[in-house]
Amino acid sequence: MLAAFAHPVFDSQRSFRELLQAMARPAMPRALPVLPPAPAPIAPAAMAILLTLCDATTTVWLQQPEGEAVRHLQFHTGLKRVDKPQDADFALITDPVSMPPLDAFARGDLRYPDRSASLIMQVSAFRADGQTRFAGPGIRTSETLAIDGLPGDFWQQRTAQAPQLPLGIDVYFVAGQQVVGLPRTTRLLEG
Amino acid sequence: MDTSPHLARPQWMSLLAQSDPADLAAAMDAFAPPADLTWLRPAQTGLYMLRGRIGGTGPQFNFGEITVTRCSVQAGDHIGHAWVRGSNTRHAELAALADAMLQDDQQQVPLRLHVIEPLRRALDRRRDEASRRAAASKVEFFTVVRGE
Repeated sequence: MLAAFAHPVFDSQRSFRELLQAMARPAMPRALPVLPPAPAPIAPAAMAILLTLCDATTTVWLQQPEGEAVRHLQFHTGLKRVDKPQDADFALITDPVSMPPLDAFARGDLRYPDRSASLIMQVSAFRADGQTRFAGPGIRTSETLAIDGLPGDFWQQRTAQAPQLPLGIDVYFVAGQQVVGLPRTTRLLEG
Repeated sequence: MDTSPHLARPQWMSLLAQSDPADLAAAMDAFAPPADLTWLRPAQTGLYMLRGRIGGTGPQFNFGEITVTRCSVQAGDHIGHAWVRGSNTRHAELAALADAMLQDDQQQVPLRLHVIEPLRRALDRRRDEASRRAAASKVEFFTVVRGE
C-alpha cells in the first residue's frame, strides 16, 4: 500500500482551490499543486482529485477496479464504490477509449441538477494548438484546446446532451500534472 | 482480560492502545524500527462518537464524543494500525509500529517478551489498583424489611 497526501488537510485544500479554479475557467489547463503516490491504473493527478473530493459520503465508479487501487482508495478516502455508472457521484475513467457512453452516467434531475456525475478522465495530453474551440461561462471569447486520447464520438455524445441543461455531466480531464475542467455549460464551437 | 499466554492481534492492539505511552516508549526503545517504514497515514487526531447502552440494557444512544488519534504504518509486508484515546501522536505511532512488527514472525517472540508482557502486567496492576480504590469506598446499604 502507498501513502496519500503528506499533509492531508493543507494538500487537499490547495488541490480543492485549483479544482475550483479549473471549473471556473473551463478549458484552461492548470497544474495541480500536489501529486500523491497512486497505484496503477490511477494517475497521480486523478488520485489528487479523488483524495480531495471523495469521502465516505460519495459514491465512486471505477472503470478498472484493480484490487490494489480499490484497497488504496478505500483505505485513504473511505469512499463507497458502486458497480453501476448510473449510481456514481464520481467516475474515474482510466481508459477513455473503452469508456461507457456518457448516457450511462447520472445527469441529475430537474429538481436537483446537482445530483449528476462528475467524471475524472485520464487523457494522454492537452494541446493548445488544436482545432477545438470552447465557449461559455468563464471564457471571455473562446478558448482553444485539443484533448488527446478521447473516444472518437466523445464530442458528439457531449453535444447531444447539451439541450438538457441544467442537466448534464461535468468533467475533469487530467494529463500529467495538469487538470482541465469542463463543466456542462461549456460549449464546443463548430468549425 | 484474556489471560492466555499468547495474545491475538485484536488483544495486543487493545493492550498497546491502553498502555501508558511512557511505558510503551521505554519498551520499544530497545527495538530498532524496520528500515523500510512507510507512514501510510501519519498520526492524526479526530473525534469519534461513542455509542452504548448504559447499564448494559436498553437501546444504544450517543454517549459522547471522544478524542482519538489514529495512525497506520507499513513495515515490509505488514501494515500496523493504531487507534488510541487522546491526542498523543507519539503513542499512536508507537502502537502502530508495534502492531506492524508483531505481525512479523521473526520479531514476534522478543516483542512479546519485552513489550507485550511488561505492558500487560502494568495494565493489570493499574486495573487492580483502581478496583481496590473503588472497593475501599464501597458502601453497603441495608434496608429494613417492613413487616408483613
